[in-house]
Amino acid sequence: MTAARDVLRDRLALETLAELRPGEFVAEVPLSGLPETADRAMAAGLRLASLFGSDEGPGGGFAVHHLWAATGPPGFVRVWAPVARDAPRFPSIAAKYPVANWFEREIMDYFGLVPEGHPNRSRVALHDDWPENVWPLRKDFDDRQVVPRVGGQSRPYRPVIGEGVFHVPVGPVHAGIIEPGHFRFGVAGEPILYLQVRLFYAHEGTEKRFERLPWRHGLFLAESISGDTSVGHALAFAHAIERLVGVEPPPRARHLRVVLLELERVYNHVADIAGIATDVAFTVPAARAQILREGLVTMQERLFGSRLLRGTIALGGVKCDLTLGRRREILLDLEGLQREFDDLVTLLIDSGNFTDRVDGTGILPNQVARDFGVVGLAGRASGLDLDLRRDQPHDAYSGLHFVVPLEEGGDVRARFMMRAREVELSLVILRHVLEDMPEGRVRSALPDALPPSSSALGWAEGWRGECLHWVQTDGEGRLRRVKVTDPSFKNWQGLAHAVPGNILPDFPVINKSFNLSYSGNDL
Amino acid sequence: MFRILSKSLKTGVVTKADPFESRPPLGFPVIDFARCTACEECAHACPTGAIALAAPAADRRQLSLSYAACIQCRECVAACPEQVVASGRDVEVAAYTREQLTQTASFDLDGMGRARFTHMEAQAGPGLEESAARLRERIRGLLGRSLHVREVDAGSCNGCELEITATTNPVFDLERFGIHFVASPRHADLLLVTGPVTRNMEIALRRTYEAAPEPRVVVAVGACGCSGGIFGEGTYASIGGVDRVVPVDVYVPGCPPRPQAILNGLLVAMGVREARLNPKAPAASPEPAVTPSPARPRARGVDEG
Ligand code: SF4
Ligand code: SF4
Repeated sequence: MTAARDVLRDRLALETLAELRPGEFVAEVPLSGLPETADRAMAAGLRLASLFGSDEGPGGGFAVHHLWAATGPPGFVRVWAPVARDAPRFPSIAAKYPVANWFEREIMDYFGLVPEGHPNRSRVALHDDWPENVWPLRKDFDDRQVVPRVGGQSRPYRPVIGEGVFHVPVGPVHAGIIEPGHFRFGVAGEPILYLQVRLFYAHEGTEKRFERLPWRHGLFLAESISGDTSVGHALAFAHAIERLVGVEPPPRARHLRVVLLELERVYNHVADIAGIATDVAFTVPAARAQILREGLVTMQERLFGSRLLRGTIALGGVKCDLTLGRRREILLDLEGLQREFDDLVTLLIDSGNFTDRVDGTGILPNQVARDFGVVGLAGRASGLDLDLRRDQPHDAYSGLHFVVPLEEGGDVRARFMMRAREVELSLVILRHVLEDMPEGRVRSALPDALPPSSSALGWAEGWRGECLHWVQTDGEGRLRRVKVTDPSFKNWQGLAHAVPGNILPDFPVINKSFNLSYSGNDL
Repeated sequence: MFRILSKSLKTGVVTKADPFESRPPLGFPVIDFARCTACEECAHACPTGAIALAAPAADRRQLSLSYAACIQCRECVAACPEQVVASGRDVEVAAYTREQLTQTASFDLDGMGRARFTHMEAQAGPGLEESAARLRERIRGLLGRSLHVREVDAGSCNGCELEITATTNPVFDLERFGIHFVASPRHADLLLVTGPVTRNMEIALRRTYEAAPEPRVVVAVGACGCSGGIFGEGTYASIGGVDRVVPVDVYVPGCPPRPQAILNGLLVAMGVREARLNPKAPAASPEPAVTPSPARPRARGVDEG
């Protein structure tokens, strides 16, 4: 594995690069070295997977971390730089690399570190009524307090000027059953000129909460990062903890985890197909898809005790098991699903009414997707060939061979087709792991305490895209920082660029075709 | 077109006649307090503080279990060394107050420091039978009024939204009971609110509440909506349960509650509304003991905000 380390070190022209664990590399650089390293990483084809801050607490300073993902050789490279407490600034890379835009402003909001050279130094996460100079993720900020509201508006919306050109504000309370967020459209009649997205209404204080809860309970918080991605986030958190303590789940658990993650993918994709059909007012297939989805979650409740697969992942393995009889039951159910699902997809794409609404709607061009670091299903629908199940396999994926589907169109149709094809692939994977399940235990024991002053990265390719959890412990082995990166955080900026040029009535279906998480973004 | 028709004909009716018939394998935990030793293991294992131990006097202990905060993770079941905590089969739980969701057991300590169970306090909430009766009456057309519901996500993880959405699918089909989801609070009889109320949604929730016409009924959904759940109550970002911001009439705990539990909560809330509309008339079903939420001064509309 040192060969991989040397290759990556040379590509990034780093003096030293440490390999913490397989697939996880780390290097410290001075603050001024962050932009240069970023240039080299981008030139070498690495992509920015996350960018975050941390606070070492009393006596220490802050740090800014760039997390890069490499594919050949595969690995995550964390390049970090210390930031002195009395000089709370770091050099921004957002002007060159838009993917860093929200990340850097989030560090500014939560840690009070100024991204120098950032083209837009207004708040992204904190709302206007949050006071100046209060930074919730700093260590000296006590989470059990009521922060007073202040008046004034620090972030006016972009003005619209001209005849027949106006603003349409939507949210945070929407007309349907969806999460809270505010959309500000600049429109000229029906066509949308631009879209400004203001989020963080669902900011529940999740990252701070991780620092307060006992680390074992962090798993339950991870399950609630985004309710539709319980398995994805629970897995990413479990992987981080397992890597931190050096414990591998037993082979059977690694297989069962694949079953759970793929079931989560299938039920969400089927539900989204129902949503897309609903938003183009094609009610018969929408109802059919809803019935399929309900059948899936009912099966999950029967097998695992939870419709949304809560409480199935354990630190060190899984909390459930499947007997041979149960596995046959699932295989039979999935066979039925496959037939129904094929019919449903054919019904939709053969219908001119449907394709009229989805073809060429909400195009996210490949280059824009690349610039904003769009990941997962939405990225693959715009031709970005990324999938951690293949590129950095976790759990039993390393033993599986499969071709990741890819679409080029970047429109609603492409995102619809991605879902259809990913369901097909998931069914193949499910069949494979269910038929070929190793015997043995489903859980490895974990030590009583986490190692002090260490860190680890956990990842999982959830149904929406990659879920990343970086955990760091303090001198006593408590969680000092948990950085959660939900795919939505990167993809929201992509969505905002897929909307202009479309008409306002098409926004719901464009939004649905991405189906991003507000809670996962707002944390 | 033909394909769609033939598909529909072949499918037949998928809607469940009695949505309450299927029981899930695992529900809220049940503690057999008579055999409990108040050792506190379950309280340590509980990630949300739904189980808590208190010492009101040197020789007394109190163990309380609140379904308002329970996320049904079953850690307490695994943690109990006496094996007196079990996963119950109850999931369709609704209550008029947070207190109705809490059971508190008292223990005396003997000279050796061993706890002996003395008595339990619990307040009965509305039973499932009541909702089932109301459901039958609705189906028979005895309860005429329809119910217009406005859903408000005040900061949830979206798990509760998935289950609320599921209530409208063809299998549960809430519309057949006259329950409709509407787009504006101004058309709503009832607000169905999820999430720990975040600091950033507090004002929006208040305004939505004020925009709904009287007599409005509020149903808090999920462990988060009932108590802040895993996100906690009183943090800088999570204010906590919905009742910290607006008066709540019915609590539907669970993480997330199943669609059946949400339906049950809505049926209970219909009783509240009937009682509020006809305070004198004998209720069509067992009258719930409700105190109407205090009338708030009508604030200026959302549009001005
Ligand atoms: S099942 Fe409920 S009471 Fe038991 S540990 Fe989990 S949250 Fe606490
Ligand atoms: S109760 Fe559970 S499912 Fe509902 S919002 Fe809270 S964490 Fe999510």
